[in-house]
Amino acid sequence: MLVAWKYRKRRSIIQWFDPRAWLTFYGCFFMSILGFWDFRFLMFFFAITMIVLFNSGVTWKEMRRAFLFIIVFVFFFSILTFLTGRGGSEVYTVEHTIRDFKASFSIFGWTPTLKITVERAFYAVSQFVRIGSIAIMTILIPYSLNPALYGITFKGLGLNDKFAYAMDLTMRFIPTFGRDFQLTVDAQRARGYELEKLSGGLIEQVRKMGPIFVPVTIHAIIGSEDIIDAMDLRAFGVGPRTWIDVLMRDTKDRILIGFGVAIFIISLALGFMGYGKFWVPEVLLKLAGG
Amino acid sequence: MNKSLTNIAISLGVVLGFFALVMFVLGAGEAQEGALFNFSVDQATVGLRFLFVVIGLLIAFAVYYVTKENSAWEVGTRQVVWMAIGAALYAVFSWLFNGTVFVVPSVSQVAIRPAVAIPMFFGYAFGPVVGFFTGAVGNMFGDALTGFGLSPQWSIGNGLIGFIAGCWMLFKDRKQSMNTVLYVSGGLVVLTALLYFLNRNQPNMLFFDPDNNIFGDAAISIFAGLSIVVGFILILAVRFGFASNENVATAVMWGMLGNILGLGFAAISDIWINGYTLAVAVVGEFLPAAGPNLIFAAILVPLLVGAYASVQRQSGR
Repeated sequence: MLVAWKYRKRRSIIQWFDPRAWLTFYGCFFMSILGFWDFRFLMFFFAITMIVLFNSGVTWKEMRRAFLFIIVFVFFFSILTFLTGRGGSEVYTVEHTIRDFKASFSIFGWTPTLKITVERAFYAVSQFVRIGSIAIMTILIPYSLNPALYGITFKGLGLNDKFAYAMDLTMRFIPTFGRDFQLTVDAQRARGYELEKLSGGLIEQVRKMGPIFVPVTIHAIIGSEDIIDAMDLRAFGVGPRTWIDVLMRDTKDRILIGFGVAIFIISLALGFMGYGKFWVPEVLLKLAGG
Repeated sequence: MNKSLTNIAISLGVVLGFFALVMFVLGAGEAQEGALFNFSVDQATVGLRFLFVVIGLLIAFAVYYVTKENSAWEVGTRQVVWMAIGAALYAVFSWLFNGTVFVVPSVSQVAIRPAVAIPMFFGYAFGPVVGFFTGAVGNMFGDALTGFGLSPQWSIGNGLIGFIAGCWMLFKDRKQSMNTVLYVSGGLVVLTALLYFLNRNQPNMLFFDPDNNIFGDAAISIFAGLSIVVGFILILAVRFGFASNENVATAVMWGMLGNILGLGFAAISDIWINGYTLAVAVVGEFLPAAGPNLIFAAILVPLLVGAYASVQRQSGR
């Protein structure tokens, strides 16, 4: 199975709150952090992320695979940006060189060089903190939110019954289709098909994806008939839906929502005032002779 | 006035109020130096601009009002399940083929991301509401699974792909609707190709080249720049090659329009969200995304339509 929601009841800061309150807070957190490249502001969000992570009750063993993927991914992109200097051009224009490394050899006239600048280094760090915070906060959700509460949570966030139930089903189907995809890939591999070694031009490569793409999709549609029948038999959509679980919002949830909204409003205000842009410590600029 | 009509009218009123706030209140101020958001609007023409917003919303309302009896807008049990299946499939395929799980090599800067065929197919087969949900929610979950974070405007853009792909249901004459789609899409393809030729040195904002360690900064290749023309020709070939099979022709034609308008919306919105110029938004973002998508649509959507037709014949549903 490629994706599995490993939820279980645990002593967790996330589970301490109402799921609606947590998702509202997460939404505010996410929209707020997008407005910043300034390392000092990003550290505030990173601190929140660390508090949540270490109080999430999710063990290292449980999230090891997902975490390693995030770390490698974020680290790879940050290092890549640092080495190439690409990607940061939208947030800084001037670079202060710390050191230039030049290889003593050339390959077909090209001499490998590595230019280390204060801006590149700090952009990589800022990028690491920014993407890392978003990724960690996101990945904790499936470990912490009870799948049985997905529907009522979205209903409580304002969606009507049908769309809330559709969101609920979507989250439940993702691991299933991940498994179906893996089964199909394995079955095709047994017949000599290798997804990673598609040959030919673009059109040929896309065409060769058919044996993976079509069975998974059509199998999902065929399987949907059973679910539709089951829902129809229970008179889904005939009248207002009742939910087995009832969510209760109390003071601590209202405080969390208020905190999230406050962060968002303050972030917006700071953005309007020109704060939050990419920042480099003055000391480092001086060290680089700037 | 019935309940759903009232809800639509209220929703459009809220959108209008939001635009009024942005244009007349926030837009009246000068842009702050270095500010992250720039809402300033030329106040000399703000009235005219606002009029276009009103006209746009009236058109949206008129389309709904005229077609409100159409079964395409129905959301019953089947649509709810199809929405969920479409969104989950799109999320899983987006995650698997985004270049981090299965690394399928790019061909001349065109990354192979076939997932876009899902909202096109679900929109075509199950209607605009299912298509919109599939594209928007699927893209949102796909981005969340990858850890990229969310880009709301691209989620809406993906939703529009599925939505427009399902709009053929609103027309009585399929052939006439396909001809209209052909002219509109052809015009947009020519326009964007022209923009490419005028801005050939724009970086490809969506391309990551692991061999050369370049992300979002390589000049757009000629193939990526012209892929929208290649895709358009392929779609035309499918349209006329399958002239006797209206289902396939309809699916690819409306999928093409959805792709162009949906991703066009997302890319153009980056002019305000990320401060891009029109050239960067269209040449750097829109063409590398929309062009290859047309190629995937021309090949994978007919396969899905054919397979689904077989399933329908067998199940009788």
